[in-house]
Amino acid sequence: MPHDMKQNLADFVYQELLDGRVTISGSDDLLVSGLLDSLGVMRLVAHIEQKYGVKIPPEDITIEHFASVDAIAAYAGNLLAD
Amino acid sequence: MQYHLSQSADFSADKHPESAAFRCQSESLDYAGLRHGANQLANALVDQGVKRGDRVGIYCNKSLESALAIYGILKAGAAYVPIDPHSPVHRIEQILTRCGIRHLVSHTAKAQDVNAILQSTGGLDAVIGMSEPEAPAVHRCRFMNWNEVRDSDGERAPNVRLTEQDLAYVIFTSGSTGIPKGIMHSHHSGLSYARLSADTYDLGHGDILGNHSPLHFDMSTLDYLTGPMVGSTTVIIPEAHTKLPASLSALVEQERMTVWYSVPFALIQLLLRGVLEKRDLTSLRWVLFGGEPFPPKYLRELMNIWPHAKFSNIYGPAEVNQCSYYHVPESLTGYEESIPIGTIWKNTEALIVDESGRQVSPEMTGELLIKSPTMMRGYWGRPDLNAACFFKRPICTDVHDRFYRTGDLASVNGKGEYLYHGRKDRQVKIRGNRVELDEIESVFIAHESVEEAAAYSMPVVDGSPAASIEGAVGIEVALVLKGGSGISKQEAMNYAGDRLPRYALPERIRILGSFPRTTSDKIDRRELQKRALDEHPAYQKSSEHHAT
Repeated sequence: MPHDMKQNLADFVYQELLDGRVTISGSDDLLVSGLLDSLGVMRLVAHIEQKYGVKIPPEDITIEHFASVDAIAAYAGNLLAD
Repeated sequence: MQYHLSQSADFSADKHPESAAFRCQSESLDYAGLRHGANQLANALVDQGVKRGDRVGIYCNKSLESALAIYGILKAGAAYVPIDPHSPVHRIEQILTRCGIRHLVSHTAKAQDVNAILQSTGGLDAVIGMSEPEAPAVHRCRFMNWNEVRDSDGERAPNVRLTEQDLAYVIFTSGSTGIPKGIMHSHHSGLSYARLSADTYDLGHGDILGNHSPLHFDMSTLDYLTGPMVGSTTVIIPEAHTKLPASLSALVEQERMTVWYSVPFALIQLLLRGVLEKRDLTSLRWVLFGGEPFPPKYLRELMNIWPHAKFSNIYGPAEVNQCSYYHVPESLTGYEESIPIGTIWKNTEALIVDESGRQVSPEMTGELLIKSPTMMRGYWGRPDLNAACFFKRPICTDVHDRFYRTGDLASVNGKGEYLYHGRKDRQVKIRGNRVELDEIESVFIAHESVEEAAAYSMPVVDGSPAASIEGAVGIEVALVLKGGSGISKQEAMNYAGDRLPRYALPERIRILGSFPRTTSDKIDRRELQKRALDEHPAYQKSSEHHAT
């Protein structure tokens, strides 16, 4: 998985979704903590699709893939590799 | 005879000790465990100084602890006060202070936030559910973790004498002034709701309820109070699942849920993004929704996908728990923009009155008033609101009936069905014409390209013909479009122009990527209105004017 992708996703979550309010690390939980809501998830999906030219099928938008920046980056990395 | 809500745990433990009362993630709590754990917590709370009538806060993520907390607090003779675990500290402080809360039941996941609360408030007597933090204490607060709670007696509940008029729970909702209002329910009103809801939806031992609503939202009482009364199982849906429809639908399938109750938003998310075609959800026998109108176009689609389930529209402000239902007929024809709130349920009386408190003529619209055993006692510590929110109907000298003023506009159609026409305070006058903002929304939502719509009033700006009139308002509509659809503002306006009177047409349409939402997932229209005022340069002058 490319390192800059993980950085880009972390930046997007931090700047766009959290408005720079809360610092997070790659493994921090985004969902249970309430940091990310359902609309935040949708914005993140749109961002990945646009930035990397991939299509994320709805059945892939799950807790396993979106629980943390690490999880999202791993998932998106696989998607790009396919 | 049951007169106390926590007896539900005892009676169901006698009948079905090994059946699951609550499940969450991979954990399960059977009825014997619920009774035992609640007794332990109650004894621990009494040891920590909790007395009959005290208010005890529940500050937990969705978990088995939240269920134990409810029954433990009730068994201690206190009232439970659910606190939104994602609320800012300032708002939590307001609730703790206003409600005189000295004890909090929580868990380790919230340790950091509890610390922040203790730093900023006048302090608490005790926090149950976590160990004392290592940081030097600036407060005198006792801590007791869940392991220590389990050292307390679980065989017997504390000996507290209660009547059914005792306070059972207080639910805080946002008041229009920004100060949260605490809705007080007694054991009597809570039990009346539990009995009526169990009866109306035929809930029983075999049912598996999906708890979508957070605890601080009144719809959760079906899952936490009615479920245990009938010995069914409540599956507490974790926060993460409520944000990811594909995971949510997988959970509904895996848990074989039979009864669903949520705001329409959750069901619309499931419909649009829940990959329902890949899930076997035939276990669902009854889908209940409420809190907001459900746009018929989505409801119809969902009913086609789940033909095995009954669907009911549930209506009732948190102040009365619930007061009407509409069992949606299979062919939902004739209701393009909204569906009825239906029939007033048992033991409940409704009146529709005009501004002067007189009953309106048949089929006319007025404010809906409700008298029911499920009605709240009043708002906590707010004599001003309590004086205004009840309507007194004289019976004879010195005797009157007490009705709750819902603030909702309703009428009864020729078939005897109650129809909802929006909030009374969502009615605006446009050049002398009465306009219901909710009805404008439903017109826009009916368009196939529109996913969501919100209408709100805005001060009229200079240059508009109406600007010379003091306090004149116009309407703005914000839309969220369905993915991939490209309707223009003008097309949307033309569409509405064919369906609304001219005076009810918005002055402006905004297209947004998403809407801000309240913690109960309702559209936050106040925030939309505020943002529109902040962003629009044309409003700067008038909003300054209004602020002075």
